[in-house]
Amino acid sequence: MATHNTSMSSLEADVLVIGGGSTGVGVARDAALRGFSTVLVERRDLADGTTGRFHGLLHSGGRYAVKDPSAARECIAENRILRVTAADCVEDTGGLFVSTPWDDPEYGDLFLEGCRATGVPAEEIPVAEALRREPRVNPDIRRAFLVPDAALDPWKLVWGCARSAEEHGARILPYHRVLDLEAEGDRVVGAHVRSERSGEEFEIRATVVINAAGAWAGQIAKLAKCTVNVRAGMGLMIAMNHRLVHMCVNRCKRPADGDILLPLRTACVIGTTDVFVPDPDETEIRQADIDLLLDEGEKLVPGFRQARALHAWAGVRPLFEDTAEVAETRDVTRSHALLDHSSREGIAGFLTITGGKTTTFRLMAEAAVDAACQQLGGPRECTTAEVPLAGSESHVLYQIGHRLAVREPVPQAEEVICECELITRARLEDTIKQRDTTSLDDIRRLLRLAMGPCQGGFCIYRATGILHAGGNLDGAAANRTLLDFLEERWKGIHPILHGDQLRQARLDDWIFQGILDVEHLPA
Amino acid sequence: MNDFIRDSLDHCVKCTICETYCPVSQVTPLFPGPKYVGPQAERYRGAGPSADASVDYCSGCGICTQVCPQDVKIAEINSRARAKLWEKRGVPLRNQMIARPTVVGRLGTPVAPLANWALHNRAVRGAVQRVVGIHRDAPMPSFAGRTFQRRSRSHRGPVDAPAVAYFHGCGTNYYEPVLGEMVVAVLEHNGFRVIVPQQDCCGLPLQSNGNFPAARTYVRRLVDHLAPHARAGLPIVSNSTSCGLMLKREAHEILGIEDDNLKLVSESMFDLCEFLLRLHERGALRTDFGSLPLTVPYHAPCQQRGHGIGKPALDLLALVPDLHMIELDVDCCGIAGTYGLKKEKYEISMAVGKRLFDDITATGSDLAACDSETCRWQIAHGTGVTAVHPIELLYRAYGLDRRTRSGLVTAEAQPTPVNR
Amino acid sequence: MSYDTVVVGAGLAGLTAALRLTEQGQRVLVVARGVGATHLAPATVDVLGYAGDARVESPASDVAALVASSRDHPYGHVPAGDLTAALDWFRARTEALGYAGRLEENLLLPTALGVPKPSALAPRTMSGGDLRMGGRFVFVGFRGFKDFHPTLIADNIARARLPTPISARALELVLPAQRRVDMSGRLIAGQFDTENLSEWLINALRNRVDPDERIGVPAVLGLRRGDEIWQELETRLERKVFEVATLPPSIAGIRLFDALTNALRAGGARIVLGVRAVGARTTRARIDAVDVANATGTVSHPTGAVVLASGGFASGGIELDSFGAARETVFDLPLIGIPEADRVRFAPGYFDAQPLAGAGVGTDDLLRPVDSEGSPVFTNLHAAGAILGGAVPWKEKSGTGISVATGYAAARAVLAPAAPAVAESVP
Repeated sequence: MATHNTSMSSLEADVLVIGGGSTGVGVARDAALRGFSTVLVERRDLADGTTGRFHGLLHSGGRYAVKDPSAARECIAENRILRVTAADCVEDTGGLFVSTPWDDPEYGDLFLEGCRATGVPAEEIPVAEALRREPRVNPDIRRAFLVPDAALDPWKLVWGCARSAEEHGARILPYHRVLDLEAEGDRVVGAHVRSERSGEEFEIRATVVINAAGAWAGQIAKLAKCTVNVRAGMGLMIAMNHRLVHMCVNRCKRPADGDILLPLRTACVIGTTDVFVPDPDETEIRQADIDLLLDEGEKLVPGFRQARALHAWAGVRPLFEDTAEVAETRDVTRSHALLDHSSREGIAGFLTITGGKTTTFRLMAEAAVDAACQQLGGPRECTTAEVPLAGSESHVLYQIGHRLAVREPVPQAEEVICECELITRARLEDTIKQRDTTSLDDIRRLLRLAMGPCQGGFCIYRATGILHAGGNLDGAAANRTLLDFLEERWKGIHPILHGDQLRQARLDDWIFQGILDVEHLPA
Repeated sequence: MNDFIRDSLDHCVKCTICETYCPVSQVTPLFPGPKYVGPQAERYRGAGPSADASVDYCSGCGICTQVCPQDVKIAEINSRARAKLWEKRGVPLRNQMIARPTVVGRLGTPVAPLANWALHNRAVRGAVQRVVGIHRDAPMPSFAGRTFQRRSRSHRGPVDAPAVAYFHGCGTNYYEPVLGEMVVAVLEHNGFRVIVPQQDCCGLPLQSNGNFPAARTYVRRLVDHLAPHARAGLPIVSNSTSCGLMLKREAHEILGIEDDNLKLVSESMFDLCEFLLRLHERGALRTDFGSLPLTVPYHAPCQQRGHGIGKPALDLLALVPDLHMIELDVDCCGIAGTYGLKKEKYEISMAVGKRLFDDITATGSDLAACDSETCRWQIAHGTGVTAVHPIELLYRAYGLDRRTRSGLVTAEAQPTPVNR
Repeated sequence: MSYDTVVVGAGLAGLTAALRLTEQGQRVLVVARGVGATHLAPATVDVLGYAGDARVESPASDVAALVASSRDHPYGHVPAGDLTAALDWFRARTEALGYAGRLEENLLLPTALGVPKPSALAPRTMSGGDLRMGGRFVFVGFRGFKDFHPTLIADNIARARLPTPISARALELVLPAQRRVDMSGRLIAGQFDTENLSEWLINALRNRVDPDERIGVPAVLGLRRGDEIWQELETRLERKVFEVATLPPSIAGIRLFDALTNALRAGGARIVLGVRAVGARTTRARIDAVDVANATGTVSHPTGAVVLASGGFASGGIELDSFGAARETVFDLPLIGIPEADRVRFAPGYFDAQPLAGAGVGTDDLLRPVDSEGSPVFTNLHAAGAILGGAVPWKEKSGTGISVATGYAAARAVLAPAAPAVAESVP
């Protein structure tokens, strides 16, 4: 499994991928499958960037059918591929486009025409049928359309790709930060990296370096003295405690803020906004944006503001533009861009793949590795459209009841550590061992630990105890990881804290401070 | 349209209070507890039936909902999940049978002596367990032979008096008609004219066995019979606390019935002791009680507590001279309607009820009081003690028993205690 | 049905007020949506554990300073001497649980994370864990009981800031063969009650613990027979044994709840759970009846007085909506400690001072909720427990102390001639 405890002076590979989001791991997997020796570095945890912070919509293309036809075509093609190759990461929820009283019903005709023209299967259904399937949706909708949207689990996707890549010899190195790119003349030959966990620095030499750093691609490119104009568009998302809808529900209108509500495992997510931010690492959640999402949610699902909001977070989408000026980041094409810097700036051995969206990650990866082949001795066939990811070999699509079903018929035959997300002790201990991590946050991303209604109120004490008892870390370190987790968790809770979630947060305060007294732990 | 039962899961803060009280999860690992099966699993339920069969082990006692400090409708969520489960699986014959007491009642009543013999014959019960799935030892009452409905037709009550409508339920009708006669006697003693509308099952057993469509049909039919009386301003009085709760709340909350007739009937529905206590609060209850020097343990059934009216039986019986009621604080007798009849659940049911049985036995009394008929049969089965509805104690205290021919009504319907 | 006092809320504050009133001869009704924080909190009576960052050694002295500096603090509305009287009363009424401790000095008991936490009173099953005297400790956990981690406790407690250093180690035992692997505290407690689990524990520990070691176990030694089993363990092991409170459910807390509700029932009070107080019928500034919603509708209970002990945000006694507006949910009483409309409600750091932390109902010295002018909203309405504003009890470790003290004081205020109570019922 991916390791970040490296101890070496240098590594050599055909391909070095910078960036551990869907694009990066997609590239690493594709390259490894084609037989190239591959190393991937990511400064934080895999999928900690854009991929881990989007809403999980596996686009049918419907959303782009009117405004961005090429993106729509790409989406439906990749949608079909991922349902087969990444089945375990995909839930076939289906998608619904609805015209609410705030939307122009005639847009529906444009929508149908756009779908037809781009090959996105779309069908208008009676409003009564839509409401039968989705009883919480606004009863005053005027039109409804079915499309094959689906819900994607980004962590499963990224880790599935990473495991696949490793199975084919790649080395995946999270918590390794690129400090500089090494050049010899006008050719990039590798990178100087530091392990964030051990502090150790070393070189990675590669024939081709692929910059898949998403919203940070510009920063990486600068290290090679190349220019990549990626604008960071911050998008806010709110997870609601339970599935108010079972399908991906979209507003049938020109894409705008807060017009998607879709299931994300046991929760559902309303998104999103689009605010240009100069620094992709600086994403502050503003109350006005929270209110906007809650209000838009209320239009789609009456009573939305009384429903329980679990967590809020911001992701940044990478919007590449070759021109300097663009009015609104939303208007930039969502298609990706492959930049071969040898032709752009005369710097060989360096490619950037940027823009795009998670739905088309595989396509982006294919384009990047195809281009890399030119500098690696000639074309090799891409098989990622056929070969299933690790974990998806059975081609069985994910079902929401899965974690519940595996516990039958005797649900208490195993210890359940995180009850909200049904994570067993065995699963937790396996993950700790495989990931070789002592960070509760790393575990959280992989297992969804503490991502349910109680937001860790019960399971974090248990997980900390288990981590400590396993010998992985001493008392002081265990305390540290617990306290860090509480601080980190709070960032996503306090912006949307009201109603039921405030009750929960107060109970959690009583548990952590009143019962356990974490504030007075020894150093 | 909001689904307020499912949406109530949002109130769950995982505090564990419900699972601490759940009597079933205490005694069997097959049921992981109300928090797990209710608000927690509900998040994993998509549009179709849920993946968890363990929800079927929920007895529907409703204690979880009563103790939840956050108003999560736990038992109701479980009920609905179970219905979806059975909808997918198909309801087995056994569940169909025990869920229709009026059908069983109508079949058994004309041949009561034979039916009763069969129900208490070990060989027959063994066969029934194998074929149908009702446990051989499960407490089954005896058919009375002449239903309460029939008896009430030949009854002449006061003509010129304020009226109440009497919802007697299947238990009284087929198995304990003399109890019904006592109810009428007590109400008449207090100056009421008792109207016994034509009526059938309230559908509760169908609901708890997961057959919602049939349950809704039964509710609507029953409510059609009762509504005219409610519309005429009459209170409707029920001596079966579970059936009363069904009409007061569950038919709307669990079955989702939005019906004006149902609404009217629920608002006019009173548990018998609740009704008499309100009478007393207005100073209108006759308190000419004779001495009844007994010490009697009282068990408030889970479904009675679900009414949220306190324990009016105790307040009433406090008025009877020399009667000492012991308020038991145990939660559940285990029968949970038809749950404890099932062969795979009988042992669970008896384990759940054990503490109640022990507490009753420890009082040394040979009489116990309880408002629900199925609980009374379970208590008799588990302790050997005779269990009566609180109204019977009032009936005796009023001296009304000297005016009728029959003795203790429940002796006829008491199941034979199992050898323990 | 009419009552002398209706108590809203069945937590420690409500039960304290109800029991105090019942034993003074009142006819009391307790209504609650469900059971309360007794089932979640450690069952100790925490009067004051921290004054800012400083650990409090003597609540008796520090409470006075706290009240002087913090105008709205609930202790400030409790009459002089009532805090002591309340604790004495509490100890007397829970005699079977053997609460030990004094207002003059806090016990220091280990939490399930191994942090020494100050408490004024603890039941005898727990008080043996007092860390102040030093010594040697062994913390015992059970495989399969995920809510207690003895190695972490031992590790932390050995490095804790204590008056006398201690040494601590951990032991993990395997419960006898179980039908299920995932054991809750409730299930283990049930096995102590009915399946003689103490026999197994004694045998498992006998030769593995030194004579001078104190044995800390999770607080699961039986629900109905907790005290009895603890005594048996101490007697037969010939060592000090103490329970350590852990994540909910709090078995020791349930024992306390049962003791108080049994006493209430024996005294003739009525307790109705699963119902909701939704408002009141009033005449000018007096409550005539409390409206309680149940299965079908609302019942009005005429009453002489009302004690509101509905809890804070955690119990839904106060709610914050998505627009940031706060509301007391039963009587719509004015609240104190709510930041202005445009001000932030939550600070960005989890351990920062949180603007909403001290929110709640403000009262006069008869614990009657007051309006912005300081006049009681209703002359016969009193409040007690976590519904009161002016304190951050989980931080300063004062939750149960406030509940008992204000519950007791609210009862006194109901009975006092100044309040228009039902004169005939007061002896």
